[in-house]
Amino acid sequence: MTDTKDQETLPDAPEYDAEAAGDAGYDDDDEPLDLSRDNNAQITMLGSATDDDSCASFQFENEDHTLGNALRYIIMKNPQVEFCGYSIPHPSETKMNMRIQTYGDITAKDALVKGLGDLRNLCDVVTDKFIAEKARFAAEKGR
Amino acid sequence: MDGFDMIDSGTDGPSVTIRKAEASHADFVLSNVDLAFANSIRRIILAEVPTLAIDLVEVIGNTSVLPDELLAHRLGLIPLDSTNIDDKLLYTRDCDCDGYCERCSVVLTLVAKCTGDQNVTVYARDLAVTAGAQLGNPVITDEGQKGSIICKLRKGQELNIKCIAKKGIAKEHAKWQPCAAVSFEYDPWNKLKHVDYWYETDAKAEWPKSANAGWEEPPQENEPFDYDAAPTKFYMDVETVGSLPPDEILRQGVKYLQEKLANVIAGVQKTAGANGVSAAAGDVSGMDDGYGGARSPDMGDANGYGRNFNDGYVTPYGGAGGVGGAQTPFGGYGGGGYSNGW
Repeated sequence: MTDTKDQETLPDAPEYDAEAAGDAGYDDDDEPLDLSRDNNAQITMLGSATDDDSCASFQFENEDHTLGNALRYIIMKNPQVEFCGYSIPHPSETKMNMRIQTYGDITAKDALVKGLGDLRNLCDVVTDKFIAEKARFAAEKGR
Repeated sequence: MDGFDMIDSGTDGPSVTIRKAEASHADFVLSNVDLAFANSIRRIILAEVPTLAIDLVEVIGNTSVLPDELLAHRLGLIPLDSTNIDDKLLYTRDCDCDGYCERCSVVLTLVAKCTGDQNVTVYARDLAVTAGAQLGNPVITDEGQKGSIICKLRKGQELNIKCIAKKGIAKEHAKWQPCAAVSFEYDPWNKLKHVDYWYETDAKAEWPKSANAGWEEPPQENEPFDYDAAPTKFYMDVETVGSLPPDEILRQGVKYLQEKLANVIAGVQKTAGANGVSAAAGDVSGMDDGYGGARSPDMGDANGYGRNFNDGYVTPYGGAGGVGGAQTPFGGYGGGGYSNGW
């Protein structure tokens, strides 16, 4: 790629804008890592599902062990699920793959959705228990 | 929780016991949950609970001995009061403003000058939050009510700095960490043999007993190994940097784990494709079958795992790949489509 034509198409260096560099505003072309939790939950079904969809693999974007391991555990708790495992194929890609195989009574996706819901309920229970315990601890200390 | 027992049978569900609660740390035992869940909470507390930290620094004047960049870094690390940040502040990326505004940032100013012969020390308390801001005061916990040292000034030196603090998470930069440390322990007697202690002659004699050992039964003499056992009690100590109280960190942590789950549920439901998969539950109809997207690495076809191995590529040694594999530094290897250049 040493073609001069390519070099000519390089954009000119932006002119220094005193106003933009000052107090007025920020040129945010230096976007920070997009780690927002909003609207970027992307899940794709990988092309290794069985015909009846009882077994499937899913790829989660922007997820890691925080979600993966807890979700894996909770899905495995479902007696209709034969196998569930997850992996992070490469540490520098923010992707998490999850494999779900059911006994055939439910689809893998149903198992996934149920697992997500169950984990959410578990979080609710832990929050409630923590708030109750905090109140109890405060009352005990106040006495 | 229908259909099956989500937590281990025979227990009455998850429970929390607070052992110690102070302004800067909370020590509690989380029991009857599994290791994966407890670890998720630990991970989310460490990296994904948002706080406020100085993110942009405008140096109007700096004649101190510290370079601007060093000052900016030091300012970023100063913990700022972030209580209830979710109700008060947006992420800048979610805000409609250009750059920053009062809905997504807090402005702090630092003006200091040394006029006398005595050197002046600039502390975190010298950061002045814009009047009317609901949060963002520097965290000051020391007896002298000074906060952390930012810089020292000699006669004639001065600082005039405008800091823009933004909401963020520690996954992006450690300055947004709400916790200094989260201690996490289970199975203090190592009955599960998850730890293989190094020893000279006798591990029991050489290793100190865990502080949590008193909370669990010591193992019996010649107790058989229970290979079905799983950890159920998790001893956690959340130590804050002061920007958030420890109990709020924990509550927020669980909240963000739930938010993460809600987003994934929405993502599963949203990613409806033409090749929708039939789903028994009506609300999850159609997910991208993925034939146009990523595939599992064991698919082994030309489009395997989002990368076309048959395309080849140019190695740093100049060998042109072209169709049919890359050129290796050791000569041509054009046979298979899987050559990785090695």
